[in-house]
Amino acid sequence: MNKKFLLLGGLLLLKVHLFAQVTFPRNGVYDQRSRMYAFTNATLHTDYQTTLEKATLLIKDGLIEAAGANLQVPNGYVKVDLQGNHIYPGLIDLHTFYSMPEVPKPAPKNGPQMESAKKGPYSWNQSIRPETNASEQYKLNAKEAEEMRSLGFGTVLSHIPDGIARGSATLITLHEGLENEATLKQKAAAWYSFNKGSSTQDYPTSLMGAIALLRQTYLDADWYKKGGSAKEQNLSLEAFNQLQNLPQFFEVSDKLNVLRADKLGDEFGIQYIIKGAGDEYQRIAEIKATNASLVIPVNFPNALTVDDPQDVVMIPIADMKHWELAPANPAALAKAGITFSLTSSGLKDKKDFWNNVRKAIQYGLPDNEALKALTYTPAHLIKADNQLGSLKKGMLANFIITSDNLFSEQNTIYENWVQGYKYVVNQLPVTDIRGVYDLRVGGQTGMKLLVSGKAGNPEFAVQAGKDTLKVKATRSASNLLTLAYSPDKKSKKGENRLSGWIEDKTLKGEGITAEGTPVKWVATYSEAFKQAIPAKKDSAAKADVASLGKVTYPFNAFGVDTKLSAENIIIKNAMVWTNEKEGKLDNTDVLIQNGKIAKVGKNLSLAGARTIDGTGKHLTAGIIDEHSHIGISNGVNEMAQAVTAEVRIGDVVNSEDINIYRQLAGGVVASQLLHGSANPIGGQSALIKLKWGASPEEMKIPNADGYIKFALGENVKQANWGEAYGIRFPQTRMGVEQVFMDAFTRAKEYEQAMKAYNSSKNKIGTPPRRDLELEALVEILNNKRFITCHSYVQSEINMLLHVADSMGFKVNTFTHILEGYKVADKMKAHGVGGSTFSDWWAYKMEVQDAIPYNAALMHKVGVTTAINSDDAEMGRRLNQEAGKTVKYGGVSEEEALKMVTLNPAKLLHLDNRMGSIKPGKDADIVLWSDHPLSIYARAEKTFVDGILYYDLERDIKLREELKAERNRIVRKMMDAKNGGAAAESPALKKTQIWHCEDIGGIEE
Amino acid sequence: MRALFTFIYCIFISIHLIAQPPTPGKPQVKAVALVGGTAHLGNGQVIENAIIAFENGKLTIVASAATANFDRSGYDIIDVSGKHIYPGLIAPNTRLGLDEVSAVRATRDFSEVGGINPNVRSLIAYNTDSELIPTTRANGVLIAQVVPQGGLVTGTSALVKLDAWNWEDAAVKEDGIHLNWPAMFVAGGIWYDPEPIKKNEGHPKILDELSRTFADALAYSQVKNPSPANLKLESMRGLFDGSKNLYIHANYGKEIIEGVQFAKIHGVKKVVIMGGEDAWMVVDFLKENNVAVIVSELHRLPTRPEDDVDLPFKLPAMLSKAGILVGLSYPGETKNYTNLAFMAGTAAGYGLSKEEALTLVTANNAKILGIDNQAGTLEKGKDATLVVSSGDLLDMRTNDVTYAFIQGRQIVLDNKHKRLFKRFDEKYSTK
Repeated sequence: MNKKFLLLGGLLLLKVHLFAQVTFPRNGVYDQRSRMYAFTNATLHTDYQTTLEKATLLIKDGLIEAAGANLQVPNGYVKVDLQGNHIYPGLIDLHTFYSMPEVPKPAPKNGPQMESAKKGPYSWNQSIRPETNASEQYKLNAKEAEEMRSLGFGTVLSHIPDGIARGSATLITLHEGLENEATLKQKAAAWYSFNKGSSTQDYPTSLMGAIALLRQTYLDADWYKKGGSAKEQNLSLEAFNQLQNLPQFFEVSDKLNVLRADKLGDEFGIQYIIKGAGDEYQRIAEIKATNASLVIPVNFPNALTVDDPQDVVMIPIADMKHWELAPANPAALAKAGITFSLTSSGLKDKKDFWNNVRKAIQYGLPDNEALKALTYTPAHLIKADNQLGSLKKGMLANFIITSDNLFSEQNTIYENWVQGYKYVVNQLPVTDIRGVYDLRVGGQTGMKLLVSGKAGNPEFAVQAGKDTLKVKATRSASNLLTLAYSPDKKSKKGENRLSGWIEDKTLKGEGITAEGTPVKWVATYSEAFKQAIPAKKDSAAKADVASLGKVTYPFNAFGVDTKLSAENIIIKNAMVWTNEKEGKLDNTDVLIQNGKIAKVGKNLSLAGARTIDGTGKHLTAGIIDEHSHIGISNGVNEMAQAVTAEVRIGDVVNSEDINIYRQLAGGVVASQLLHGSANPIGGQSALIKLKWGASPEEMKIPNADGYIKFALGENVKQANWGEAYGIRFPQTRMGVEQVFMDAFTRAKEYEQAMKAYNSSKNKIGTPPRRDLELEALVEILNNKRFITCHSYVQSEINMLLHVADSMGFKVNTFTHILEGYKVADKMKAHGVGGSTFSDWWAYKMEVQDAIPYNAALMHKVGVTTAINSDDAEMGRRLNQEAGKTVKYGGVSEEEALKMVTLNPAKLLHLDNRMGSIKPGKDADIVLWSDHPLSIYARAEKTFVDGILYYDLERDIKLREELKAERNRIVRKMMDAKNGGAAAESPALKKTQIWHCEDIGGIEE
Repeated sequence: MRALFTFIYCIFISIHLIAQPPTPGKPQVKAVALVGGTAHLGNGQVIENAIIAFENGKLTIVASAATANFDRSGYDIIDVSGKHIYPGLIAPNTRLGLDEVSAVRATRDFSEVGGINPNVRSLIAYNTDSELIPTTRANGVLIAQVVPQGGLVTGTSALVKLDAWNWEDAAVKEDGIHLNWPAMFVAGGIWYDPEPIKKNEGHPKILDELSRTFADALAYSQVKNPSPANLKLESMRGLFDGSKNLYIHANYGKEIIEGVQFAKIHGVKKVVIMGGEDAWMVVDFLKENNVAVIVSELHRLPTRPEDDVDLPFKLPAMLSKAGILVGLSYPGETKNYTNLAFMAGTAAGYGLSKEEALTLVTANNAKILGIDNQAGTLEKGKDATLVVSSGDLLDMRTNDVTYAFIQGRQIVLDNKHKRLFKRFDEKYSTK
């Protein structure tokens, strides 16, 4: 009874002890202590680059009082002799959701939700939640605290990972006291992402929509600050502005999104700190160029199950290579000189943290860089380097006591001190007793007692003659010892059981032998234990970094590991389709030099130029696809609103898409990447050249005109979306017209308001709110942005021409335009081009009158006519589709070829530099095995800007290399699995193929 | 609501009034001879300056002018000098006549509810007046397999002639039952954020259900007048006596093996693999088991990023060269079928000779579908189902069909596309 009371009393004492905030009343006698401790004889790592031997750390009131060698310990300190054990600054994790509520997953819904469901005067969009303060939702979760502390973390930045603007994060220690005490900064940082989180609202439905939304939010917040608040009260914008002086963090899902987030920040003068996904090594140069600091996970993938050779085919090469190379990511970042901190986030099991950090070190990350990434860098990034990250006077007493080098496999974390409070991770032994001892048990001498392993958890063995006998041992914190072992290897008669204590370097006590005889025993220290690490383990300590596979650009099948460059080349003796007045020239040479077509003629030569024999082959300008959706990340339609002129495909170009390579193999050199057709006014296009391996920005055609997608008909009125989609305006072709009339009326008013304000002398009053949607429309009105309009039936084509005339703009191109043949004369009069399918029809109501003669008829009337794909597959044989216009309507072969080369170049305003074989134009050319309009023709060589991006011969070599690389990694995975590493079932990531009408299962 | 239906109904009525598919060809009354052309027999052989004659719908002379002792009298002579003659192409795996406007539910008749529907027959729903039939045959397709789709056992397909007054006239035969092999891998996630494809956990359960159906059907087929009668099991009798094919639609290598073995175990006599994207992984298995493959469209993307970029194009050659009987189809949307000739052309661009490629869509398809006694090649005694093209039929650059005959009946080659072309070509020509 008495004992129980004592126990309870002990717990209460602890509670009171932890309950020590100024304003809080206390129950009982005040028990305030200064918590003064002196840690002596420590190997003290005061920061990531300074180590002091036999040093002392003094802490008082939760802060560091002094740290250094040769320190006198004043009276009043509790002394702890660390006997050479290490002290490191407490680790810091910047990406946690520690002690935060779960984010609810949005329930699946049927039908649109156009408005925010959130109560109160907040943002119009549910995913903009800057008013969220993690600090207000902080409720201590002791289990999470213990888990993180056991890894060595003392401080975390915690936020609620919900929405695009996620609000503020709080900087808190892992002390299990009151939230008031553990909070270092209530609002320490702001977080953002491209993920709309729990929002049930439709907008945004795409990555480009998320980007546009965040951009517009910056503009709105600026307007709000400058007087907009007089017109609209908005708690979200208010909060958004208040967070701007804090460090700005951005969480992304992959390497390309690192680049996208950084670019967005650049626009508003913000340097985000970006939480990456661990694949940054795949675009290291571009990521270095962002100058962003990163927060990087160590959640390296497990090996995949590769037993079944057929199922292995299902594993993408990118996943295989990432498995091999992910552990080298931190080393690659360090080598590139990129500032980064490490986070434990993303690990399925946090216990893997140290294994994986060590793995990163084995793969080349220097120890001090690792320590920096866990202490100094995060402290610096969160602007708390005056409190955290190193051990200096006045800083928080956050530190860990370890047995060895923090990164050593032998290391044990004993204690994790947080704000001067001690948390035991593993019992700190009073003495490190590892060593070799002369053992005497009763009368038996000549034995050795071997104490090895970790200082905190030593392993014991008895060496008797040739036998090494395993010892079961327990050691208490108060230095009591129990050992039990069989007297010899074959013995079945029982164990010698010894009980004793540790006294300096001697272990001794009493025991009972297996036979039952009482004995005295003593083990006398003779020498230090030489860690006999098995040779095998030693070699495993450093991964064979040299044997790792190479990073390819892009990180996909058929990527290349060295950048391709332009050559000077003469293609000899080919049938040259010039697309100029010279027409087809037989037995002709073409010289390409410095990325341009230099000469077209006979018997050309240039010193040093490579010669390619074109005898019997055809040389044409490269194919340009006026309507493509390849190379786009996460959504081609921002389909939540009828007008989304603010979104830009250029923000989401995906350089890693295998279809870029496949299209090069079909002779395509450039594409207009279009927004989809879900809205009357869709998003802005990206014009790219298919530079396989280049970064998204490098692929964009410099100084190309801006384009935008419009759409008419069934898709924009959601005719085939199902019953639930009868809400969004417009639902009829009548409504579609009014969407345009309204949008351009607003755009004109906007332009006037802007002009008026900007030209006013004193700029008095609130500036008009910048509106990204209307800005794009104003560009159209001013001939600075050009329309490609998805269209089918004649009435709607006619309608848009009328709207354009009445509003004072031009339609540049009607795309699809399957009934263009019915209004070709009107199109000609308006000066609009037509970019159509060769022979698609029948799949929906509005294509019932589509005919394969459409191109021929438009061409006949004088409309600039192109054939497009809208399809990653058809895109790689557009030459054949052009061939069909010869068959359907009798277009001449040269004119037919122009429909996929020169004419799309004209429609995209690129014909001054692309689309024909003419000196001075870009060397975007294709060498075909056969007549280029024939089904038998293969693109053998495709040049873009004079660079041979596709070469049939090289392709065949790459196929072999790809097979070999897969086999190599499969073998390595099997080795890893046989070595005991975790394995996962294979998974095949399906390449996303977009069509312009992709809105969720509905195509075309 | 009723008003709306009436309204919609009226729209369709009016469309039908406008639309005028050409009148079916009249039965052959007089013998016809095509002279001077290059005949591609569909079995790999070519006859230059050929005489192709037919009477009462059957081929009577298939020979070179140089060797044939040909008396012109009694024949309608058609001079096809410089032109090419081919057997009418056979398009497997279509939904022709069952799918008019794909996006409009009222016009879709190809997918029945329920998982096991062997008794559902495409033939009786086949609409001979579909506007898509004349456009399909415009490039050389004269026979099609019309296949119910959807579910596991999708139904009984029929082979039809693409020129008929009604489905009875159109019918060649009801040729087999179609089975969509249950997938071993399934996709996860949502469309804009796809998750990795995972193993289909439901696979064993579905297989079990299929097994029970096939075992029951085999047992049922061994009884003369079973009671109670079961329409589903009844419709499967032909699988066990060899009068009907079992078409297993499967793409992945292991699914192909699993499907074929399943059919064998359950006593199915004739098995055909439809699709077969990954059939190249299991060529030895297919050959050992003597299983034919009707490859699906070649104009598709490779299944995986790591696949050779031209893998779909060269698949027929890979299988043919391994000794497998290969047919070719262009399934999916109705607009595809007219381009079947160019699928063969593609195969010819990637490893087969042009004549070998032609056999895929003629002799081989006929053999696999079980109509090689009457169609698929130009041989004496077979149906006079053939087309004449000004140039190479397999290349879109030269494909230009000027004559077509089905069982000797000359087909009107007009279609909706040509009518609209004519109308607007005239509009712009008179300006």
